[in-house]
Amino acid sequence: MNARFDVIVIGAGHNGLAAAEALAKRGKSVCVVEQSDAVGGMACDRLAHLLYNPAPSGVETREIDTVSLSPEGAHVLIRRGEARFTSGKPHPDAAAYQTLYRRLVRYAGLLHQLAEAPPPGLEQGVTSLAGLRELSRLAKLGVGVKRLGKAEMREFLRILLTNAYDLLLDEMPDGPLPGALAADAVRGAFSGPRSPGTVLSLMYRLRHGGGVFLPAGGMGAVAGAYAEGARRAGAEVRCGLGVTRVIVEGDKVAGVLLSDGGRLDASAVLSSVGPMQTMRMAGIAEFDIEAVRRARKLRAKGSTAKLNLRLGGVPEFTGLSAAQVKARLLVAPSVAGVERSFNPAKYGDLPKQPVLEMVLTDGTGPSTLSVIAGHVPETSWTTDRRESFTASVVETIERFAPGFGSLVEEADLLTPEDISAMTGAPGGHWHHAEMGLDQMLTTRPTVGMARYRFGVAGLYLCGASAHPGGDVTGAPGRNSAAQVLADGVA
Amino acid sequence: MMDGRIETRDVAAVPVGLIETPVFSRLDQISTAKQWGNWAGYISPLVLDTMEFEYFAIRNQSTLLDVSPMHKYRVTGPDAETMLNRMVTRDLRKVAPGRVAYAMWCDEEGMVIDDGTLFRFAENDFRLCCQESMHGWLLDAAWGFDVEVIDESHSVAGLSLQGPTSFSVLQAAGLGAAGSLKPFDLVKLEPDLWVSRTGFTGDLGYELWVPWDRLTKLWDRLWAQRAPWGMRAIGTHALDMVRIEAGFVAAKVDFQPVLTASRLGRGRTPIELGFERLVHFDKGHFNGRRALLKQRDTGPRYNLVRLDIGGFKPAQDALIYHRKRREVGHVTSGIWSPTAKRNIALAELRAPFGGEKTDDLWAEVYVNEEGRWDKRLVPVTVQTKPFFRNDRARATPPRAF
Repeated sequence: MNARFDVIVIGAGHNGLAAAEALAKRGKSVCVVEQSDAVGGMACDRLAHLLYNPAPSGVETREIDTVSLSPEGAHVLIRRGEARFTSGKPHPDAAAYQTLYRRLVRYAGLLHQLAEAPPPGLEQGVTSLAGLRELSRLAKLGVGVKRLGKAEMREFLRILLTNAYDLLLDEMPDGPLPGALAADAVRGAFSGPRSPGTVLSLMYRLRHGGGVFLPAGGMGAVAGAYAEGARRAGAEVRCGLGVTRVIVEGDKVAGVLLSDGGRLDASAVLSSVGPMQTMRMAGIAEFDIEAVRRARKLRAKGSTAKLNLRLGGVPEFTGLSAAQVKARLLVAPSVAGVERSFNPAKYGDLPKQPVLEMVLTDGTGPSTLSVIAGHVPETSWTTDRRESFTASVVETIERFAPGFGSLVEEADLLTPEDISAMTGAPGGHWHHAEMGLDQMLTTRPTVGMARYRFGVAGLYLCGASAHPGGDVTGAPGRNSAAQVLADGVA
Repeated sequence: MMDGRIETRDVAAVPVGLIETPVFSRLDQISTAKQWGNWAGYISPLVLDTMEFEYFAIRNQSTLLDVSPMHKYRVTGPDAETMLNRMVTRDLRKVAPGRVAYAMWCDEEGMVIDDGTLFRFAENDFRLCCQESMHGWLLDAAWGFDVEVIDESHSVAGLSLQGPTSFSVLQAAGLGAAGSLKPFDLVKLEPDLWVSRTGFTGDLGYELWVPWDRLTKLWDRLWAQRAPWGMRAIGTHALDMVRIEAGFVAAKVDFQPVLTASRLGRGRTPIELGFERLVHFDKGHFNGRRALLKQRDTGPRYNLVRLDIGGFKPAQDALIYHRKRREVGHVTSGIWSPTAKRNIALAELRAPFGGEKTDDLWAEVYVNEEGRWDKRLVPVTVQTKPFFRNDRARATPPRAF
């Protein structure tokens, strides 16, 4: 007799755990199966360091400043819409920056309601109550856009689909200040500020108001809170156990086979990994040819590496106070520089001048500089290549913090390949699938999958490749769980 | 040029216009009508002599048609059956090696992409013959399966030998072993020569498949036996008449292959085309199954039906009315059938017409009487059986009919 649950969740990432919690709270028996030994998926200290949205309950966060480093030493201190030089002097473009920033946050707020709930869908038509409810959500966006006033509405529609490069440099001269926004617009993405749709991805990043938060106890604490929430709701979380196969019988999910040879029965399976990995687990023959093609063609080219540098002491950055060193440090000296760093990635090469986001971890023990480096190739990471990339990152930091290199005691580089192996994220992509115009809202991850459902009854997607996508919000998981409940399959 | 650019004149000449099949020179020699058409990029005869002669040869003697322009794809490998079974609507597990199966395949919404014949040479070896180019679709369908898909359109050629004396011609040409073939059987009679008892006429007939460069030889071998059996070479116009009599549907005529239709809602499901018996819901998943399952419960939107039409004027493209008032569909293929002595047609009717509702249907036929148009409303009756049926089509062994 196999163990039976109402729902099995593949992967104990924050989204899988959020889905498990939502389902367990509604009285479903839930088992979360995680192949690695730790919960949290990409929400772990080795991989992530900051939150851009409210943390789960029980986790304290602290909003921190951003410092965009300047090769000339004119570093810019940014907090939400305010910008000045780290020396305290006013920044000549502060007013233009503030206007632009506030506008983007206001526009992002309009998209916010679409971004958190499941994507709007009119598949039921407008003759049913559910269909009308969907229509009203779209109407709300329409009303919101209308309320902006004629001039602002025009501006919203004008910039919505454009690229960050043009938007930023229309408003101010190039430098570390617009560079910071450009870097934020493309972080985790296989795109440069000149790529179309990067204004939308920037708005997406700012949709919670644009604050940058450091969770107390690190990302591990965030993951712990998600796991705790799931367990408290009654879900079972089993680590160190992979799912080798999703069992499908008569076009319905029947359960999963586990890496230890065991089997769990369930009428619903939620998968935190990508659509293609999920299809492979259930068997390609169970899906329509077009659905497989779309999953195959999903743009999920990992382009972001994580480098954890353990330091023998606290680094000193020229021109930064001890407090400012604890800010989010960006190496994005110009919008053009961010675009240039993307160029080699198109050909599978390393960026010559990598764009970096760095956070010095809290605490009294040995400090670690957590670095996210953009625009790296997805594959072909030889030992040589790893070493030379690590060296080039350290060298880049050295330029702003003389003597930094000698502080580095240990370097832990996680390439997209490593991230994929560790977490199951498709291609090791930061957001599981590129946050492009064609892969957002009703077309995320692909056409026909916006309702988190696969063709096989009872099979759902609950990871970041589903709407609303990346970031540690748990929203894809919760939305997926809501769909499971609405469909009444478990 | 040294700078890596390419001069247009250095590029090998690409053939422009229609391409000749291996037997074109033979056809050109015997053609008195000189009516040529474009069949998948090849020069193909529409009529060689007169359509009437050719039609009657199909029904009374035997005929030879070059079917080499047909698209042909070889699918081999351990997963060939699984992969194709996921693509087509019928259950291929029931099609044994040495058999041919007529099949349809659909998109994810259950709309027919194309129909064709699947030849099963061996457990893991199939060939799909169809009208539309299907290489890209097959590659998509094959993704994730251990199979190899090869486009044999230009390397495998075929002749269709059809008609009551077709077996006698085969026997005279030394291919009498084909006598044991039952309809839809397939056998390798000689190295490089496969013979199947298949065709598009609803009558006794065979298709012979050889490598491209062997076609001329095969043509000559059969052509040499033509005299006592009254064999004629034919064009596709006559073939179109007999396939309507047999009740076979033609892509782009009776239905629009959904991948080539650009307008919404032009696709039709196998159920709507009258082929629900070839949709095997119990075989596991296949492309479009979920959509078709839904339609099985809600019912079709259209019904493609066979019609017996009053009068004798072919009703091609005629509109169909209910109670002479309400337009409910149109004729997709219509001819005067010389064999059935009836005015016959295939027509698409909006459901429930052609399904539950079949009475009081009328066709509006336009007749051009030397410059003056006349409009006639003639009664139509829905037929369930093909217009042409003859036991000789199924008799095994076949006789010299």
